[in-house]
Amino acid sequence: MHHEFKFGGEKYEITIAKDGQTWLLGDYTASVCDDGRVLVISPDGSTKFAHSAKVGDTWWIHYAGHTLCLDKTEPGSQDNDSDQGMTAPMPGKILEVKVKDGQSVEAGELLLVMEAMKMEHRIVAPNSGKISKISFSVGDQVQQGDTLVEMAD
Amino acid sequence: MLTGKLDRGGKMIRTVLVANRGEIACRILRACSEAGLTSVAVYANNDAGSMFTELATIAVPLEGDTIADTYLNQEQILAIAGAHNVDAIHPGFGFLSERADFAQAVTDAGINWIGPSPQAIEMMGDKMTARLTMKAAGVPVIPGEEIASEDEETMISDIVEASQRVGYPLLLKASSGGGGKGMRKVEDPADLIDAIKGARREAIAAFGDGRVYVERLLTGSKHVEIQILADKHGRTVHLGERECSVQRRHQKVFEESPCPVMTEGLRSRMGEAAVMAAEAVDYVGAGTVEFLLASNGEFFFLEMNTRIQVEHPVTEMVTGVDLVREQLRIAAGEPMSCGELMLRGHSIEVRLYAEDASNNFLPAIGPLAVFRPPSGPGIRLDTGVREGDIVTPNYDPMLAKLIVWAPSREEALQRMRRALDEFVVLGTTTNLRFLRELCDQRNVISGRTDTMLIERVWPNGWQPDFAESTLDAALIVAAVSESAGLNKTKLMQSESIDGLVSPFQTLNRRYP
Repeated sequence: MHHEFKFGGEKYEITIAKDGQTWLLGDYTASVCDDGRVLVISPDGSTKFAHSAKVGDTWWIHYAGHTLCLDKTEPGSQDNDSDQGMTAPMPGKILEVKVKDGQSVEAGELLLVMEAMKMEHRIVAPNSGKISKISFSVGDQVQQGDTLVEMAD
Repeated sequence: MLTGKLDRGGKMIRTVLVANRGEIACRILRACSEAGLTSVAVYANNDAGSMFTELATIAVPLEGDTIADTYLNQEQILAIAGAHNVDAIHPGFGFLSERADFAQAVTDAGINWIGPSPQAIEMMGDKMTARLTMKAAGVPVIPGEEIASEDEETMISDIVEASQRVGYPLLLKASSGGGGKGMRKVEDPADLIDAIKGARREAIAAFGDGRVYVERLLTGSKHVEIQILADKHGRTVHLGERECSVQRRHQKVFEESPCPVMTEGLRSRMGEAAVMAAEAVDYVGAGTVEFLLASNGEFFFLEMNTRIQVEHPVTEMVTGVDLVREQLRIAAGEPMSCGELMLRGHSIEVRLYAEDASNNFLPAIGPLAVFRPPSGPGIRLDTGVREGDIVTPNYDPMLAKLIVWAPSREEALQRMRRALDEFVVLGTTTNLRFLRELCDQRNVISGRTDTMLIERVWPNGWQPDFAESTLDAALIVAAVSESAGLNKTKLMQSESIDGLVSPFQTLNRRYP
């Protein structure tokens, strides 16, 4: 079966074959245990049990003490990651707006300060450019994922 | 003091209300259960069904939506205490635990307050007053200055002036502060005014008190604290130290006892200073005196926490003293049960936070789709969550404390690595891997930890370090999980009894 995942901005295509109860990929073999864990046999013959859970479109994998999040993408889908907006990392309140509409900013420049979970979070410009839209003002409540500021290159 | 003992000493404690939530509420409710006491939990709407509500004899809902209306609502909590014939209130940590007015209101209502007197809380809770009290008692304090002004402009000019005398780098601290809130490190004088404004604003938001004072930032020093216990029979003892130097955003993440560089002589000097600090405010109950320990062996009073602390388990592991049980005993007017201080082995605690360690430790939210803590010898987990719970932005993002004990520090660190490798949390980003890599740091292994360790080791932030083969394996697991439809079966598990009808149900149907 063919799947596509995204991890750390990179796209990974993977095709696994099924042989009876085991799945094959290169020198790896894997099988699903009764309790839902996945047993992985590495090319060197070592065995490890992995946990997996899907939340939304993301597979959370625990393997050998590491936790990795792999986003399941549909084959051939377009990347719509080029969104220039800066989004609220979590629900909270806007404390300060440091920039004005039309202002030019450098990468790393402080755009606004918000408060979430009783701590202040600083939203900085990911790259240099011009502010094209500021969607909130001081005191506004924002939801996770809300676009706070938009920039044009 | 003696009259206090007679007044309260005769009062039996039968029912304890826990004015807290989450992990520490679980810890206290379990202690009540072990002591054979009836317990009352109070919970906000958004905590309905939480683990701590199930550990109480009775769980009473709090009305209201905000924290101020619920866990900080003194009248409502006192009314519930009255309605359920509560004899004592345990405030845990955070929330109302260091509110002198609440301690007073509880006492005035004829209810036993599990903690020190309102006067002791007040003197220690205001960091500036505490500095002055300790100076007077002969306990060494960090070079710095108290700032009396409260309005922003005067405060700025006073601090700017004081900064000339204190010197850089310096630390701004909220007088009512704690947990890193309202605290700012300033290295460059050019950043001072912005930092004062930020610290003041955060302090007002978190504590309703914007007073800020200045201390010299002592780099390369260790954060070492002494646990003390004082009963109403005039006995005050220390239970050794905890080292909590490893911090991120001024919040502790890795704590241990004993401190790796401690000597018998230093321990007894710091212990004596801590007992002096406690006696200076007629302290009763469990408390912690925090010190900065400089590399030359000099130590300075930081603050006293007039409550049980997050990291209390490491002391329990090495001393064998159940601190929460002692709190209950002391509040009931009994003498504390612990004898001579005996330290055994080594204990380490790490704090599991729902946060993205690779993104400036930003708090995270999400479901705990999988939550499998480690087990085996020498492992203790203090938590208030279980698999299936949802992590929300409503409260502190600490999910659990993982505590290990082993005969030596080296073995404790090995056990912690093993335990962290076994710990599985899926669905919410946590600092698990960060903690695991911390255990491999040269200075953590050698015990040469100081409060700047995290910033020094990861000056540009932390990123997980893993082999290509780990990603390969994870991709295969994801592909197999997707192909095998594990997402569907996982969700179905609770309902998957479909195919397996209980024989008892059929029995019932057959013989109605």
